[in-house]
Amino acid sequence: MSDASTGSGAESEHDHAQHHEGPGYTTPQAAIEEGGREKLAYVMSLYVGTDVDAPDFVAVVDLDPESDTYCEIIDRIEMPNRGDELHHFGWNACSSSCHMEGLERQHLIVPGQRSSRLHVIDAADRRNPELVKVIEPEEVFEYDLSAPHTVHCVPDGQILISMLGDADGDLPGGFLELNEDFEIEGRWEPPGEIEMNYDYWYQPRQNVMVSTEWAAPKTYYPGFDLEDVEEGKYGQQIHFWDWEEGTVEQTIDLGEEGQIPLEVRFLHTPESTHGFVGTALSSNMFHFWRDEEAGEYRAEKAIDFEAREHPDWDMPVPGLTTDILISMDDRYLFGSNWLHGEVWMYDISDPSNPRRADSLSVGGTFGDIREVQGREIVAGPQMLQLSLDGERLYWTTSLFSSWDDQFYPEEAERGSVMLKADVDPRTGTLELDEDFLVDWGECPAGPARAHEIRWPDGDCTSDVWQ
Amino acid sequence: MASHEVRLEWPTGRTKTVTVREDETVLEAAGRDGIGLPYGCRTGACGTCTGRLLEAAGHESNDEQVLDVDDAFAYRRCQRALKDRHRADGYVLLCVAEPRADCRLAVGPSVHTELVENPWK
Ligand code: FES
Repeated sequence: MSDASTGSGAESEHDHAQHHEGPGYTTPQAAIEEGGREKLAYVMSLYVGTDVDAPDFVAVVDLDPESDTYCEIIDRIEMPNRGDELHHFGWNACSSSCHMEGLERQHLIVPGQRSSRLHVIDAADRRNPELVKVIEPEEVFEYDLSAPHTVHCVPDGQILISMLGDADGDLPGGFLELNEDFEIEGRWEPPGEIEMNYDYWYQPRQNVMVSTEWAAPKTYYPGFDLEDVEEGKYGQQIHFWDWEEGTVEQTIDLGEEGQIPLEVRFLHTPESTHGFVGTALSSNMFHFWRDEEAGEYRAEKAIDFEAREHPDWDMPVPGLTTDILISMDDRYLFGSNWLHGEVWMYDISDPSNPRRADSLSVGGTFGDIREVQGREIVAGPQMLQLSLDGERLYWTTSLFSSWDDQFYPEEAERGSVMLKADVDPRTGTLELDEDFLVDWGECPAGPARAHEIRWPDGDCTSDVWQ
Repeated sequence: MASHEVRLEWPTGRTKTVTVREDETVLEAAGRDGIGLPYGCRTGACGTCTGRLLEAAGHESNDEQVLDVDDAFAYRRCQRALKDRHRADGYVLLCVAEPRADCRLAVGPSVHTELVENPWK
């Protein structure tokens, strides 16, 4: 309870401040206890490649059920240019810097996936963030990199961004480092460490980073072409790096069952070497961990989602597991099967043997639930975000503009939605909240897509602990 | 500097003619005239700006004859987002294409969606 009149709120804040001086929380459990309920969300919103002649924007969504504007987009931070394809984004600082006095979680780094433009947004005023800096694509191309994706902060103030291509949108990709003043510091790794790149996560106490593979931008940008898979143009490897040195120590080829490894997560516990990666095209979950005896990492298929027959389609349809996340208490792995139309939760208390807890069939190709509050759901669940306490799961429905056009063309005409399920971590169950709907179809300039979701003060996919 | 008349045609029936110099791309010239064509990377990598050649130097594309897009355009950078089959079908990336003939182009966001289809359907 935070009844300010009794002063208890201020006291507990003071207490908290004694443990650390910097941003975030001292431990994942502290995040659960101190984070409080999410009242706002920042959501990547986009118009690129549609009839709407407007720039992409960051939506500020009201998630406070007590508020008059609950479930509404209460602010939009418009980008200065069109054509960015806002996709993933991240903070200048998270719990990994909680020992850094003076550093604050204040700036959002918002890359344009298609434009290679980098935006810096000052979110000191959580409800009215402001665009404060733009790094133009030409500056990024000078480092022979393009297609920015995952943003994480490095514990002492820098920012690291995975880059999927070279300046021509070809391979190899790499990593771009920004300094505390949001200037390009340079390429993080020595050239030639990897070819393909996508998502990454690091576990500093173990001095390890793991990165995944999508494809060359010129391959995935225009849309998904099966011919490219046959020609080996999509990835199936994951790379384990020496985090301090910035060099690849080990590469694991996941094989046929591990095609297109996208989102990758270590468990939150800083001691853990366990993690999961979702291989989108094969629609499998791989568990990875460090085998101490062998002195190297291992990866094993831990969950297999079967393709489904569709009466009117030529071939069995894969689930396309495009996003995963781990609850802050490391008990559950959540994921989305975008093509099937399913969100699911697995008990990972024994990470080698994930146990299905529950799932929800909604939207997409096969989902049982086809509408919420009379609004037709025209695509499957995609980007996920979970409350810090693990009791509310939210998701949006757009994957990537050109891939949406291929699989869910109506998403361009109708816009995306954000939906929510109530989670009971005790009983391991999910239930759709029928009262919750945020509709990007109602945006003033026209229907927009919605992609990654973040909470203003750290979430299950932003924070790392040192 | 020589220039060419490029007629842009949207599926809705809307049309606009833009005078494009030989040293500028169709996307640049359209932008100069305040015409909002779709784009993303502007480097020939993403395909968002794709147009389709309908007519060049008075010759129409039809079932009997497919126009060679390379007769109508020079490219500032390599068209990496297009495959051979796309080029053969008259697709062209307007962010890197500089005209070498008067022409008509199908434009708008629906054009780039023609590059790929749902492989399972
Ligand atoms: S805008 Fe990306 S290829 Fe032209």
